[in-house]
Amino acid sequence: GDSWGIFTFLCAALCNLPALPALNCTEELGAGQSIQKTYDLTRYLEHQLRTLAGTYLNYLGPPFNEPDFNPPRLARVERVPSATVDLDLWRGLTDNARLAANYRAYSRLLCYLRALDGQAGTAELRHRLGHFCSSLQGLVLSIAGVMSSLGYPLPAGPPAPPGTPVASNDFLKKMDDFWLLKELQTWLWRSAKDFNRLKKKVPPAVVTLRLEARGF
Amino acid sequence: PSFVSPAADPAVISPQDPTLLIGSSLVATCTVSPDFHLKAEDLYWTLNGRRLPAASYAALGPTTLSVALARLNGSKQQSGDNLVCHSRDGGILAGSCLYVGLPPEKPVNITCWSKNMKDLTCKWAPGTEGETFLHTNYTLKYKLRWYGRDNTCQEYHTAGPYSCHIPKDLALFTPYEIWVEASNRLGVAVSDVVMLDILDVVTTDPPSDVHVSRVGDLEDQLSVRWSSPPALKDFLFQAKYQIQYRVEDSSEWKVVDDVGNQTSCRLAGLRPGTVYFVQVRCNPFGIYGSKKAGIWSDWSNPTAASTPRSERAAGGCDPKGGEQNTTLRRELKQFFGWVKKHAYGCSNLGIKLYDQWRVWLQKSHKTRNQV
Repeated sequence: GDSWGIFTFLCAALCNLPALPALNCTEELGAGQSIQKTYDLTRYLEHQLRTLAGTYLNYLGPPFNEPDFNPPRLARVERVPSATVDLDLWRGLTDNARLAANYRAYSRLLCYLRALDGQAGTAELRHRLGHFCSSLQGLVLSIAGVMSSLGYPLPAGPPAPPGTPVASNDFLKKMDDFWLLKELQTWLWRSAKDFNRLKKKVPPAVVTLRLEARGF
Repeated sequence: PSFVSPAADPAVISPQDPTLLIGSSLVATCTVSPDFHLKAEDLYWTLNGRRLPAASYAALGPTTLSVALARLNGSKQQSGDNLVCHSRDGGILAGSCLYVGLPPEKPVNITCWSKNMKDLTCKWAPGTEGETFLHTNYTLKYKLRWYGRDNTCQEYHTAGPYSCHIPKDLALFTPYEIWVEASNRLGVAVSDVVMLDILDVVTTDPPSDVHVSRVGDLEDQLSVRWSSPPALKDFLFQAKYQIQYRVEDSSEWKVVDDVGNQTSCRLAGLRPGTVYFVQVRCNPFGIYGSKKAGIWSDWSNPTAASTPRSERAAGGCDPKGGEQNTTLRRELKQFFGWVKKHAYGCSNLGIKLYDQWRVWLQKSHKTRNQV
């Protein structure tokens, strides 16, 4: 149902408070439920991104919206956290390290997404982008919630501000936008697997019944 | 598998991200960086993913290839046409976004309205054609006629794509000048100036709590009641109302115009046993004593009600011909007798009482028939 939607909205709304609200949000949920919610949210974002990316790439125009488009990545603008890491290396990390990497990556991805051309594009595109950013913010908080419920410390401080230079021309910016969406896609795909695996490691929470009664 | 290229840009295109008028021609050049060991003959161009014919290429140097584009059409997408310089194997070396379009036309048809004299919303239409192929920005500006300062509206798209909302700091009893500026990469166009006084374009909320109910057992009437919009109390304006109603499966609305400033009305001449949809709207007039009318509010949400259906079989018990006079006389006699019993003085005699009697009559007629 729409329970994760409500959850996301609540977390996104609470995000405006100075204190980290995720602790209040998920303390009562228990690790198992928390991970399930995060998994659900990741899948939802994956689905949303398909539509958003389709619309945005059409806005960028061909060849960006062609299926096999694969432009070069320019080293000097290594701003977007890359999800293409050696899979064995990734699996070899501790749960804590993997969660922290997810948290940091999505925080930065959110910043870049927000900076996506706000002026141009149709009103529909801007609206979709806005909605996606809200949902992504919910994911960041959700991951923080999972980490706190498992007793892991949160990665220190806010994500580093994008100090890297903005693309020097409009075409390069289009390529940056393309890669941002592509990386986001890969991250979400991999995170879903991560949370699915994590769910099986954590024993089912006793609080399950309590949640059901709340109608959540 | 994508490759990460070295620090220098592989190639440079000139012009980079130009803006052009529809129909113009362009010669673009692609110069490869010496680090790449590519020659002009190793390159090719695409525009929006489509390869450009080699006949339009020219080698201007060992590492520079040009392409000639003639009579350009308007950009395929507002983010710019993608002109790309490729190496032989298809790899992208550089790109340039071409913005081909037209300067904007003067925005037209500016209409504004004020909700309860508190704010101002204006909408407009882009100039004829509208399609400039370039992203066009609209700015609504306003200033008091007798004072110099221009103000810019900030809240856009409140009432459709070409609209703006000014929420506060508006003066009354004094004219404003309002206009819209459209701008894109190719130029600016300014609409004609519209002059208005806020008090001349006032509208209000639709009436609330619209209730439609039957009038006893009367088959051809419905009674409509509503509350005046709350703002009426705060401001020195009166309200006049209009009702529209239609039968459930028809799209033709009937309008009742002479409702005046009452907050109730009776609809008559309706069909029995039919569902009707009713809406009410309000027009604030007499603002600060003026005789001018304002702008009609939106219609209230439709309320539905049905007229009762007679339970007598059609053509059953209606008295015919000469019998009618006797029936009428008898009815009148009965009526006055009943009035004597139930009406204390003539002041209570009115249509309501008559209705009550008719209802009573129908009820007692029924029981008489059932016996």
